[in-house]
Amino acid sequence: MADEPRAKEGGFQGVAMAISLWGIVLLSVFFFLRYDVPELASDRGYLDTLFYVILGITGAAYILYQVALGWVIYRFRGNRAGAASSHWHESHKLEWTWTLGTALILVPIVWTGLVHWERVKAPAPDDAVAVMAVGAQFQWDFQYPGADGEFGRFDPQLYSIENQIGLDRDDPAASDDWVLTNQLVLPVGRPARILLRSKDVQHAFFLPNFRVKQDLVPGMLTEVVFTPVKTGSYEVACAELCGLGHYRMRAFLEVMDEADYQAWLAENAPGS
Amino acid sequence: MAHAKESFISKYIFSFDHKMIGKQYFTLAMIMGFIGGILAVLIRLQLGFPSQPWPFLENLFPVGMASGIMTPEFYVSLFTMHGTIMVFFLLSLLPVSGFGNFLIPLQIGARDMAFPFLNMLSFWTVVPGAIIIIISFFVEGGAAASGWTAYPPLSAIRSAIPGSGAGQTLWLVGMIFFVASFTMGGLNFVVTILNLRTKGLRLMRMPLTTWAQFVVGILGLLSFPALAAGAILLTFDRSLGTSFFLPAGIFIGDTLMPHEGGTPLLWQHLFWFLGHPEVYIIMLPAMGFTSDVLATFCRRPIFGYRSMVYAIMAIGTLSFLVWGHHMFVSGMSPFLGSLFVVTTLAIAIPSAVKAFNWLFTIAKAKIRFTTAALFALAVVSLFVTGGLTGIFLGTNATDIQLHDTYFVVGHFHFIMAGAGLFGAFAAVYFWYPKMFGRKLNERIGKIHFWITFVAYYAVFFPMHYLGVAGMMRRIYDPNVYEYLQPLQPVNLFITISAFVLFAGQLLFLWNYFVSMRRGETATGNPWDAAGLEWSTPAKPGHGNWEGDIPEVHRWPYDYSRPDRKRDFVGQWES
Repeated sequence: MADEPRAKEGGFQGVAMAISLWGIVLLSVFFFLRYDVPELASDRGYLDTLFYVILGITGAAYILYQVALGWVIYRFRGNRAGAASSHWHESHKLEWTWTLGTALILVPIVWTGLVHWERVKAPAPDDAVAVMAVGAQFQWDFQYPGADGEFGRFDPQLYSIENQIGLDRDDPAASDDWVLTNQLVLPVGRPARILLRSKDVQHAFFLPNFRVKQDLVPGMLTEVVFTPVKTGSYEVACAELCGLGHYRMRAFLEVMDEADYQAWLAENAPGS
Repeated sequence: MAHAKESFISKYIFSFDHKMIGKQYFTLAMIMGFIGGILAVLIRLQLGFPSQPWPFLENLFPVGMASGIMTPEFYVSLFTMHGTIMVFFLLSLLPVSGFGNFLIPLQIGARDMAFPFLNMLSFWTVVPGAIIIIISFFVEGGAAASGWTAYPPLSAIRSAIPGSGAGQTLWLVGMIFFVASFTMGGLNFVVTILNLRTKGLRLMRMPLTTWAQFVVGILGLLSFPALAAGAILLTFDRSLGTSFFLPAGIFIGDTLMPHEGGTPLLWQHLFWFLGHPEVYIIMLPAMGFTSDVLATFCRRPIFGYRSMVYAIMAIGTLSFLVWGHHMFVSGMSPFLGSLFVVTTLAIAIPSAVKAFNWLFTIAKAKIRFTTAALFALAVVSLFVTGGLTGIFLGTNATDIQLHDTYFVVGHFHFIMAGAGLFGAFAAVYFWYPKMFGRKLNERIGKIHFWITFVAYYAVFFPMHYLGVAGMMRRIYDPNVYEYLQPLQPVNLFITISAFVLFAGQLLFLWNYFVSMRRGETATGNPWDAAGLEWSTPAKPGHGNWEGDIPEVHRWPYDYSRPDRKRDFVGQWES
């Protein structure tokens, strides 16, 4: 076995591999620190907390593992003095340690995640502000139920330019309903219940600042419940591919304090 | 067994030899991968320089880039076809159909696959599928444009997007060809491995590559029929007026659709019942290649062989129980979502077993840094990076924000595409001498490795930043959103890195085709490897071994035994 040419297959490549792994860790973490989730404007801060906890755990695992990988590559490169490889290839103790260790780390993550999921999916309280979001290629219509608090029936036969959401005006509950296009207004501090339906294909109601995302599925009624905690104007995005105009299916969410909201309602809602 | 004389057609076209069929798959997969890469470059061109005119591109794409500016519908077709081509026609064809066919008989000591005719047929079934997929770019309306996931109603209703016309029809037909081919292949893998192992090759003496291909064969057999069923039902919805996936009241293009009674969620369940095992169909062979290549160039037995085998089985089994994690925000029952969290995060356990076993294989080694070894080491790094980001997405609570953002794109390009691609590269550099009797050029190989490795991290790691900052997938121009505008420099950086990554692959293609004729000639066992395949001649003929098939006396990882002078003992040696 000619060993001389092989000795060369060790030096530079091994050192370079170790340095590049360490460099990647350094740069990726350094730049990660410059980016953050969009500013939080809802009561779902607990989701951010869980995100940061998982980021801490996986970030530590990422750094430790990649640094260790770089180190073993550097330490056991073939051309080092007295290089020899070992036949040792089994250790039940070690293997059980990392199997059970991984499982133990995962248990609290899964548990916390499921508890938070319950909270996100909890039914809306009775005093929630209810709005029906109707998605279509490529616009959002927001139906307010009016003073009776009930959404009027819709009928797909009635979809038209004037009646985008196909509201059936024969339904008494529809008499005081009104619609806003590409604009949603909510009061701060009160739970909002957004019902979601689609006229055509699938869309997703995405509020980056509110940690809210839910698909709109034709033939189904889905919903999200959250509480805005900060006033201001925010962007609403479509997050599910819905056609060639998917990228511009954008709306605005205006969060007002209660007094402004009531004034806005009085000014805009028909018949009030 | 040596065949006397073969005509050109029976040797190169309709060959029954598993090695030739494997190479045919390689060629097809590389052509498709090259096309998929060009699509990726065009996607990045748009995201790096939104709506900037590139007049010279109008000559190539007169409709999609009329006056040099990419249209939104062309952009949607691009990422749809990029995903389809890369997932199915590169990352499934090359490691599974290509290497599976090429290696299984060599590694288990068989003259050929169990069903050579079926094998030939499976290749010639996927070729029309690939041609149909490529042709779909040139039909009216362009190629399919509903994402590689083809969610109805977008994919079901012709007026929903231009690509949902003839392009989507051809996509479905192409996929059905692919599924037919892949199912034949899977059947062949399972039967061959169970029945044709040479004397002494117990299951627990099989190389991890063959173990992976065995489990992949089973996964393919059980999951692809779900896609075939879905594709046929979707074709019915599109062409015969059925309503499997379409509810009442769909209103597109000022027209109320006549469908009623179906649900789009049914498609999602069928698609992801294939889609998730498919990820492991891509991953598992890469894990096998990595293990075999690492053991050889570390001159060490793979650490924890038994737990590696159990991990492959565990991942394969769990892969059927996790599909719902793609549907946390789809409107599926929240209770079901919770169940899928548990099964999904359970996959982290066998994955961690793999990662630590690799680390301990490299520790106490005497590493020879061949190009194959470098790619295998890179798989370990990419696998851990991509695996960890999966924890955010597998936890339904944190998935709400990250779902359908670039965080997901970054995640799966590491864990599935990255590990799969780098694993395939490791395998090509490692087994090339067995394929062509020559080595790939190591100097060019190393340059190719460094460009690919560094550029890969540069392209896909920053995508996590974009996702965290809230940038959605599949959007033609992120600058429409005010909160995404500050991210444009990141998009530009990714685009430039992607160009470098693509250019690096041209080096590989050049190396691959030139080395066939000009590469350094190799002996039968150029790497001093212990696997059974290395006991064949430098370029094995039809039938693989000239004399009797050797008997197997040991496992394939007998490196650096303290009781032997030479640092490896081949499986065929007593």
